Amino acid sequence: MQRPILLAYGEALGPANPALLAYPDRPAVFVFDSALLAGLSPTTGDPEGPNEPVSLQRIGFLYECLLELPVSLRKGDVAEEVLAFARAHGAEGIVTSAGTDPRVAAICQTLEQQLPVEVLAVEPFVQLEGPADLGRFSRYWRRAEREVWASWGQEG
Amino acid sequence: MASDSLAGVPLAWPEQPGELPRRFDSRQALEAELQQLFPEAPGALSPIRGGRRQAETLLNRLQPERYAKGRNFLDGPVTRLSPYIRHGVLTLAEVRDAVFARTRSRQGSEKLINELGWRDYWQRLWQQLGDGIWRDQEELKTGHSAAAYASTLPADIDEGRTGLACMDGFIAELHTSGWLHNHARMWLAAYLVHWRRIRWQAGAQWFLRHLLDGDPASNNLSWQWVASSFSHKPYFFNRGNLERYSNGSFCRSCALREQGCPFDASYEQLEAELFAPLPAIRAVDQRNREGGRDRNSTRQGAPSAALSRPARRR
Repeated sequence: MQRPILLAYGEALGPANPALLAYPDRPAVFVFDSALLAGLSPTTGDPEGPNEPVSLQRIGFLYECLLELPVSLRKGDVAEEVLAFARAHGAEGIVTSAGTDPRVAAICQTLEQQLPVEVLAVEPFVQLEGPADLGRFSRYWRRAEREVWASWGQEG
Repeated sequence: MASDSLAGVPLAWPEQPGELPRRFDSRQALEAELQQLFPEAPGALSPIRGGRRQAETLLNRLQPERYAKGRNFLDGPVTRLSPYIRHGVLTLAEVRDAVFARTRSRQGSEKLINELGWRDYWQRLWQQLGDGIWRDQEELKTGHSAAAYASTLPADIDEGRTGLACMDGFIAELHTSGWLHNHARMWLAAYLVHWRRIRWQAGAQWFLRHLLDGDPASNNLSWQWVASSFSHKPYFFNRGNLERYSNGSFCRSCALREQGCPFDASYEQLEAELFAPLPAIRAVDQRNREGGRDRNSTRQGAPSAALSRPARRR
């Protein structure tokens, strides 16, 4: 992608972030998500429970992680802030890393209405072909353990 | 901490008006700034520092074999990597490779790799369940209906004044450091759900607000495991178990050490007290006893502080 900005979020705040690795010279941004920090998102709060804010210790921990990464810091509505950042840098698209939190996928969908979004994969812990049986850990681990240790064998 | 200044790595692009600061004279200055920026957020900075440098320091201390032997003890050699893994400061693949680099025999590292597997498993389930991770995955096996559980956290728990030295100690640590050993998480969760009969969701949300490693995957599914909506029986403990793995440190100073400790009973007594009769539980329990496993024993797949997952019996 030509002239993108990079979106970092709370699942990829390290040097292995594939967007930072792929585009080391492009501006990157992290947005402190106001709704999430207020406990209004299922990432931090029970959808049927009372809304309670996230503690300062969690915010401080994130902040210290972010100071060691080349990212601009904002707070507010994530999609709005990312798009404003993209405009400020004349970006033609957004690159981010793949993650688990459904909130991030929803934000990317909103962003895609304005700019193309490229999602880069993070190196997995274990690669499993086809769908995994997640009914209980033991069923998953029967398959995964063999694959994980196979990579130790290769190195050793 | 004399040279305590916190300067962010330099940016190769101009900052925009309204962006948040990246340079502080001290950690106290960072804390003051964050209190201004996020006035609703309770508490203060954790003594646990964020960032890759601290994560690498911990990674370099990994001792897979010692971990396997001592992880169940509150003062045992657990990794404390969970906040860094949760936020991708370290990827699970990086931690896996660091364990491999310290592996002389596969057997010595199997436990730690297994615990990383738990993290991967919970993440895969979150992907599958989405926000449904807040709903009971299965019916409770406690003999009580879902309606029997309170939906909010009582004040004495939120304020850490239950009168139980262990629980109040765990709550204080949760609120000040944002990190608890996995065994402490299990005991606290079991106390809330089974002794106080509070919905697991209220406890899970409380943990997510405070835990540096909190995410709905490991956290909620572990609460469900304790509650029995994601396991074949509820998790509970007794005083002997807590006293052993905390080296008696709480019981010694507890006002209830001689009389009135709600955990001071046999597993049979506690089971009768906490749960309504449910044929299925007793049938499973009977099978486990016949298999020679005891609730007092160190459990298979026992807890990892790194991954906020309770010990399991499989």
